[in-house]
Amino acid sequence: MNQQMQKKPDWGLSYGELVWREFFKSRLNAACLIFIVFLFAVAVLAPFLANDKPFVIRIDGRLHFPIFASLSASDYSVFLAAIVGLTQLLLIQRNRRKIEPSIRSEVLWRQVTISIAVILIGTVSAFIFVPRRLDATDYKSMITSGKASGGIFAPVPYGYGRTDLKSREQPPNRRHWLGTDDVGSDVLCRLIHGSRISLSVGFVAVGISSVIGIIIGAILGYFGGGVDFAGMRIVEIMMAVPTFFLIITIVAFFPRSLLNIMIIIGITSWTEDARFIRAEFFRLRRQDFVRAAVSLGLPLRSILFRHMLPNGIAPVLVNATFGIAGAIFIESALSFLGFGVAPPTPSWGQMLSLGVSTTGRFLWWLTLFPGLAIFFTVLTYNLVGEGLRDAIDPRLRKAE
Amino acid sequence: MSENGELLSIEHLSVEFFTEDGAAKAVQDVSLKIRKGKTFALVGESGCGKSVTALSIMRLIPEPPGKITSGKIIFKGSNLLSLTEKQMRRIRGDKIAMVFQEPMTSLNPVYTVGEQIVEAIELHQKKTAEQAWADAVEMLQKVGIADPQQRVVEYPHQMSGGMRQRVMVAMAISCRPALLIADEPTTALDVTIQAQILDLLDHLQKEIGMSILLITHDLGIVAERANEVAVMYASRIAEVADSESLFAEPLHPYTQGLLKSLPQLGLSVKRLPTISGTVPDPLHFPTGCKFHPRCPIGCNDKRCQTVEPELRKVDWWGKDPTLQNRERCVACWYAPGYETNVEYKEYESRYGRHK
Amino acid sequence: MTTYIVRRLLLMIPTLLGITVMVFAISRLAPGDPVSLSMGPGGQLDAARAADVRKARMALYGLDKPVPVQYAKWLGRVVRLDFGDSIKHHRPVIDIIKERLPITLTLNIIAFVLIYTISLPLGILAAVKHKKLFDRASSVVLFMLWSLPSMWVGQMLIGYFCGPTFKSWFPPAGLSSNYAEQLAFFPWLADRLWHLVLPVFCLTYSGFAYLTKQVRAGMLDNLRADYVRTARAKGLSNWVVIFRHAFRNSIIPVITIVATLLPAMLGGSVIIESIFSVPGMGLLAFEAVTTRDYNVVMAVATIGGVLNLIGLLLGDIAYAVVDPRISFESAE
Repeated sequence: MNQQMQKKPDWGLSYGELVWREFFKSRLNAACLIFIVFLFAVAVLAPFLANDKPFVIRIDGRLHFPIFASLSASDYSVFLAAIVGLTQLLLIQRNRRKIEPSIRSEVLWRQVTISIAVILIGTVSAFIFVPRRLDATDYKSMITSGKASGGIFAPVPYGYGRTDLKSREQPPNRRHWLGTDDVGSDVLCRLIHGSRISLSVGFVAVGISSVIGIIIGAILGYFGGGVDFAGMRIVEIMMAVPTFFLIITIVAFFPRSLLNIMIIIGITSWTEDARFIRAEFFRLRRQDFVRAAVSLGLPLRSILFRHMLPNGIAPVLVNATFGIAGAIFIESALSFLGFGVAPPTPSWGQMLSLGVSTTGRFLWWLTLFPGLAIFFTVLTYNLVGEGLRDAIDPRLRKAE
Repeated sequence: MSENGELLSIEHLSVEFFTEDGAAKAVQDVSLKIRKGKTFALVGESGCGKSVTALSIMRLIPEPPGKITSGKIIFKGSNLLSLTEKQMRRIRGDKIAMVFQEPMTSLNPVYTVGEQIVEAIELHQKKTAEQAWADAVEMLQKVGIADPQQRVVEYPHQMSGGMRQRVMVAMAISCRPALLIADEPTTALDVTIQAQILDLLDHLQKEIGMSILLITHDLGIVAERANEVAVMYASRIAEVADSESLFAEPLHPYTQGLLKSLPQLGLSVKRLPTISGTVPDPLHFPTGCKFHPRCPIGCNDKRCQTVEPELRKVDWWGKDPTLQNRERCVACWYAPGYETNVEYKEYESRYGRHK
Repeated sequence: MTTYIVRRLLLMIPTLLGITVMVFAISRLAPGDPVSLSMGPGGQLDAARAADVRKARMALYGLDKPVPVQYAKWLGRVVRLDFGDSIKHHRPVIDIIKERLPITLTLNIIAFVLIYTISLPLGILAAVKHKKLFDRASSVVLFMLWSLPSMWVGQMLIGYFCGPTFKSWFPPAGLSSNYAEQLAFFPWLADRLWHLVLPVFCLTYSGFAYLTKQVRAGMLDNLRADYVRTARAKGLSNWVVIFRHAFRNSIIPVITIVATLLPAMLGGSVIIESIFSVPGMGLLAFEAVTTRDYNVVMAVATIGGVLNLIGLLLGDIAYAVVDPRISFESAE
């Protein structure tokens, strides 16, 4: 029999790579992922896309760069997160080519932990060190009045905090492509900046709920018995409490802030993840590789998270994408009801609530556009979640 | 049924599956004859098309993605492939019944065992509910289940694998079919249970007088239980013979390889011989004879690489005179008695010296 | 089975206690209280007098005692089904609930019935016609329905169909028109139903999308199962195989969805009732939370919790009844 000697190391496809390939077989999935990347780009680059300050302007003969000068701490941390995220993706690509599969996941864990640490430290430092600059200069009037010249503005030349009571409640027109809201802010600008709120709520809330759910589920699933019985009572309490009601109770009673909302959504949605992981760990506990790990005397932490978790994490990943969609939905609902972030911070849900004005007029542009934004974001995440589930499932079936 | 006791005759059956990766020919030009009251074994490795052949008889191939592209299946005078679905339904379960491989999942978990047997009885026979239930209990007894009155109202999950397979057999014979198709009936069971189920099938065959089409990959079972054997490889039939002749004098290199690889009691070898290579992917069959890449004769033979041998009847050519006058078919250029003189000459003119 | 039910009901008690403790703690430990909220900045009274009034009112509502004591007193009253008085409405909470709960339940039950009536046949049909146009088109539509945010739908419906701007086919708010009291029974009923159309629609569409997908997925799985092949091999007709065999197995997960659907709809009620101004439990909860009406908040949490737990229990019982593989001992 002829068999060709293979020159380069052919490790075959890893589980992740298989799922990746299966996922992209559908054009719909690819399109959704592209849309999500687009949303991310919009959210990260928001201050450059919609800002009432120009990129560059000449005042008294000297060049000023107002946008860059007025970037806030949260802007910097968002940039940092984006850069770290991109680097991580590139590193994963490099890992696939250079590192062999058996140690790949260890390397990956290390890289991810470092990335998260970098982001956290960066965010905290940004908030400590970057001064809050409030630049209220009206650059546009400076240009019209001739004091300044040569201003290059962002594509949507409005700021989300800027109110302009003269142009309240205008339907879409040439100056304001999607109209204005009840205090005169440009709708498109608020939509762009609102994407940051929505996406960050989605990810942070799901991150929190996944971590809590995994830890609790792992402990309950691994130990079983009395631990499981007591733990399940707690899980049942969280499941039985009317979740949305609990959320609005907490949100109403505590000061309104974005961080609070993220944390609250996170700590009320972990029960499904916990149940998935618990079921998976019940199944995995009896498998031989776990018994081998135990008999080798490996520390519990290692058994749970290094050996069992990667095998059981698939349903949690799928649930996480649905969770992001759900978190975005909850945040919109909260903002709609008036419990969410306070103006002037832009939120899609809050814009939605302005759709019917105090005089009873139906301001359709304030309902349609934020609603479409929420709808498409939620839709794409749901589709990705569904696509992910379909991509993982046949893998599981073929393996069995 | 014809005079020589033929019950079912498959003629040049071809089945294809259309997948997103291309069209896979699962069964190509398969012909065989099952005689009344006899056991016919269809042997082959996983994926060679034997189950598909069996499902084709029952016309249970899922229409997309599968399709029966050509051939006839003659049963009691009519071509099963040209019957309407309604006519086919009357045959299924009643005249031809099937037992499947996985007893764990082949029974509906939400109905009792009795309900599922009664369903088959009530469908095909005009009996009252009481009679049908009494029949069901009788069937359970026939297949050797102890305490059938109790068992008949139990659910499948309350039974062991072997017992479930017995229930499947009971369900299949409840209407006394003329042909029972058993698709790897014992593969999922313990060896001891295997023997019991096969004994049961033997016993029932004698009692009811039905034919059995036994599909298996286990040559041991074939040697013990089958009257006639067809060996399938990669969607085609390699060889057909009565079981004695096949084991005594296999004609096809594949069959020879299979038999050589069986461990023999009393013979000590350092290493069991194997057939090198693996079964080809149905989407990418080799050209010519499908076995040629693994065949000691054919791997270097230009004809075997390019021209596929069809299944032909051959006359006896062996050493054992008691095996004379038995019907044998083979699909191999180098099987004794296969090649015609014309083909011999053609080979020499084309490829040079003949092996 | 009765021992199982009794055991579950008994287990509900610690769970309920847990819920109430949690909500109580949150409401009391959060900054602010109803008295301060209702008093506002208090411009008319000088500081000392304002402080006195505040103290008196706090004592009136029992808010001056330490939190655990407050909880104990509340618990003592609740066992007698006395939920206290609403600080905002100045009425016994139980009366308010008696008025509002039936409305929410009506809304949700109608939605529930509609969901199941439409989803089951639709899901089965989609699975049977798998990969054909009907299945593909309906999948897309269902997915989109599932992703629509309910407040957007509600808002759009009100804007486009209830108002002066576009069409005025439906009433934008409330349960009955102003003149409803004067109508005879059937016109009154018709008026009621007319008011309910949009809120029920909003409650229905997302649950229906979810359930249809579940039914379809379950049916697809079961139609490929081995026992379906056995059933066909027996000679059963296609419809019998679909309904008696595949469907019977598919409803098992579908029934258990009941357990999760009910709490989800009750939660969704909050949004729908706010948008359409339907005086139900959802709106009550919303108002109570904004005005720190503690007694009402606790009552809503307790009743909501009870309803959820009953839903879970019914789901588990149904599961054990429908699937013979599950006995009550192993249903834990």
